[in-house]
Amino acid sequence: MEDLAEFVVDYASKLGATYVDVRIEEHYDEAIEVMNGVSEKHVVIRKKGAGIRVLANGAWGFHSTTNLTRGDLRKTAEVAFKVAKASSKHLREPAKLAPIKVVKDYVKTKAMEDVEHMDVEEKLRYCIEWDKAMRVSEEVKRTSTSFSCIKTKKIFASSEGALIRFENHVLWVSISSFAKRADLIQSYSQVEGGSGGFELLKQVNIYEVAEKVGRKSVELLDAEAAPKMEKVHVVMDPDYVALLVHEIVGHPSEADRVLEREAAWAGTTWWKGLEGQKIGSELLTVYDDPTIEGTLGFYLYDDEGTPARRKVLIEDGILKERMHSRETAAIFGAEPNAGMRAITYEFIPLIRMSNTFIAKGDWKKEEIIEETKRGVYVVGMKHPSIDDKRYNWTISAQEGYLIENGELTKHLRDIALMAIAPEFFKSIDAVADDLEIRSVPGCGKGTPMQALYVGNGGPTIRGIVNVLGV
Amino acid sequence: MEIKIDLKERTEKAIELGLKLGASEVEAYTVWNKVFTVRMANNTILESKGVLDIGMGLRVISGGGLGFSATADLSNDGIRKALENALNNAKNRKLPFKYSFPEPTKPKKVEKTFDPKIAELPEDEAVELSYKMVESALEYDKRVVDNSGELDIIAYYIHVKNSKGVDVSDHGTKIEASLNSIARNGVEETEGFKAKGFRMLKDFDPEEIGVKAAETAVNSLGGEKIEPGEYTVILSPSTSTTLAAYPAFLASPYYMKTFSPLFEGKLGEKIAYDKFTVLEDPTWPGLWGSCSIDDEGVATQRIPIIENGVLRNYIYDSFYASMEGKTTTASGFRNGFIVGVGIFPGKNYVLEPVPYASNPIILPSDWKREEVIQETKEGILLERFHYTRLANPTRGDFTSVLRFGVFKIKNGEIVGAYKKSRLVDNLLNILKNVDAIADDLNIGGSWGEYAAAPTIRISKARIMPAE
Repeated sequence: MEDLAEFVVDYASKLGATYVDVRIEEHYDEAIEVMNGVSEKHVVIRKKGAGIRVLANGAWGFHSTTNLTRGDLRKTAEVAFKVAKASSKHLREPAKLAPIKVVKDYVKTKAMEDVEHMDVEEKLRYCIEWDKAMRVSEEVKRTSTSFSCIKTKKIFASSEGALIRFENHVLWVSISSFAKRADLIQSYSQVEGGSGGFELLKQVNIYEVAEKVGRKSVELLDAEAAPKMEKVHVVMDPDYVALLVHEIVGHPSEADRVLEREAAWAGTTWWKGLEGQKIGSELLTVYDDPTIEGTLGFYLYDDEGTPARRKVLIEDGILKERMHSRETAAIFGAEPNAGMRAITYEFIPLIRMSNTFIAKGDWKKEEIIEETKRGVYVVGMKHPSIDDKRYNWTISAQEGYLIENGELTKHLRDIALMAIAPEFFKSIDAVADDLEIRSVPGCGKGTPMQALYVGNGGPTIRGIVNVLGV
Repeated sequence: MEIKIDLKERTEKAIELGLKLGASEVEAYTVWNKVFTVRMANNTILESKGVLDIGMGLRVISGGGLGFSATADLSNDGIRKALENALNNAKNRKLPFKYSFPEPTKPKKVEKTFDPKIAELPEDEAVELSYKMVESALEYDKRVVDNSGELDIIAYYIHVKNSKGVDVSDHGTKIEASLNSIARNGVEETEGFKAKGFRMLKDFDPEEIGVKAAETAVNSLGGEKIEPGEYTVILSPSTSTTLAAYPAFLASPYYMKTFSPLFEGKLGEKIAYDKFTVLEDPTWPGLWGSCSIDDEGVATQRIPIIENGVLRNYIYDSFYASMEGKTTTASGFRNGFIVGVGIFPGKNYVLEPVPYASNPIILPSDWKREEVIQETKEGILLERFHYTRLANPTRGDFTSVLRFGVFKIKNGEIVGAYKKSRLVDNLLNILKNVDAIADDLNIGGSWGEYAAAPTIRISKARIMPAE
């Protein structure tokens, strides 16, 4: 395959492209969906192909193919070159690439139990048994267990001489339970996963997770509907913080959003131009770090061949760094920081999160709750609805608890939090030491949409927001 | 369309091989799907990119079990490997009900679903068409300072064959075009957006899209902050299509299980305004999801989901129909997404079919759009939903950011604009509170999800500021 990659790079360069890269990839993807104990969906997908990206006259062109013959690769490169040239007629500023260290390397994630080679019977048995473990009561009316594995072998080559092989194996399982009493329906769900083999799911003990999810859905039938509360202290657990940081720090830190290149779809960002300024509490530090092994967002080189490193997005409340492509790094005069990824060879890379998380502090979770006179404790991420500038946000939680005089009292259901991002960032006054990086599959961006798996997280934190009943 | 591989022959080969390997039934779904996308940003072409996705989804029934596998390798070896995967899965995936693939039906041609001018449109011409949207927006008004958007040119061919005699094909073309314009006046910035879907090239007018996006942005300048409260709300087709798409989505037994049981057990109940009818009708010519067969090769048909306010029907593919003792409504489409797997506009072979409405439509009524506005004493007109979610899917609590295009209506006239706002209400309440439906059926939506609906008025919905 390396020879094909080098062939493509040579051929497209000879056409006149000033820069070329190619990703030749082989995918094994598997998804199992068990509902109410029955395997309703089981998908095995095998795909192989190449995505060729060229820069010609300062404009980008891209095309992919599933036919890896030299003849077809030549034609694919020709189309990529042709459309780049056509686009260049309407260019204001030619794209420039910030320099990177050109690398030849081979990286493989550790996967002891490769899902492709496990017995189908064993995979299905696990899924059905996890699903069954949620049935803790007659009031659990519906259960759903959704398992996914993405296995990728990739070769990246560029006209600058990069040649990187990356083999990755990620998986996750999403566990959901619906309980019903009379007209009241309550649900609870949790996702577990990471980069590695099936052994990851054995280490976490999904049976216990499933039993908890089932039990929680039933307990919520006895919980009170969340009251409407304005500007109260809310303590958020790491799973809720994972979605929060994803939506209101991760996305607006993408340099293409800052440049308003995503304005038509996902939107832009409210903190454009505020680099170096204080936008939040001194307790707020946020990283994006692809180098953490075992996480869903793990990689050591992005899809431009840029070596990965930890990015400091916010440090002590000061807005520091963006997630960059080589092109946006050149525009901002910044160092490329390996933010570019595509989900498969069929897509051009975009600036994406890897593992974005709030850094841990020195509080204990229990101390934060004890030192909250009146407020709410929310647990678990649910559904987000965020405005296009990531300024006004609403995110619902799996469950909540009223805090009265430092103690958790009433159990609350149907709860969401709403706030304005800068006000919320400034209000953060406690950050615990219980950092977790959670698995967040299904981050959508781009057109056509690229649904990517990432890691997000943080510790338990406290800030001031509005509480809504939803 | 020039398709070099003999997909029909490959499909037949898969059926033959599957039966030889021991399957009692085999289904092959073969796809040729070409998408060319031009993305614009900052008044320029950001990137032009294309994909040609060719592959096959294979389902087998063996020993009472169902198995599925998909492959992009259409050589004999590639098909054999996929069939072996599917058979292995079937061996372990026993079904607690009897299931068989669909019987042959007689599909009828659906007009205005394929245009060779789209299928054969040269990429460089597509780039020029896309840029016309930007140029027309910039020419509309000097206050329009920035534009971004996309143009997707889609052409597909599918062949569906099963061992029970289904042997049908379909092809189609689509254009998805959108533009987001930013207008500036001093320090104030507003946005306008227009997105439309087309099946025929002659219907696509890039200048109209550019002008509409620019006009909305310019007319939004000088907007005031909205007071929180209940408002009479008029939804343009760009937003009312959400009221077609959500009910159609919630009528699928698959999505009832995986997303929201809001419509479960409500058949025969009145859930909406008397004149509110939502159809799933792929036989309607020229709309976004119009097609002659579903992705199981069954002839499509008109299904009333909500009829005159009453929830009438759920939609089924053959699998969920068998599970629930029903018959398929020809709604087996390979919709959805798998994280980390490429799913493109057009057709995809990597998924099993699920019950999904390909072509949701709100039936137009007898009002004119102008009348709806004229007969609204006080209210607001909404041009775009952004990040719309059922915040509580089990209860139908519904929220959407009203990113821009929020216009103030007083005594039947548009008299100004509001700043960014948020709609927070309940889907079932909204459906009940519809009180006027116009006759201006249009395709609307964004990000690949389109439906057809006319202008609609809701007597009251809760709105709050979002800035």
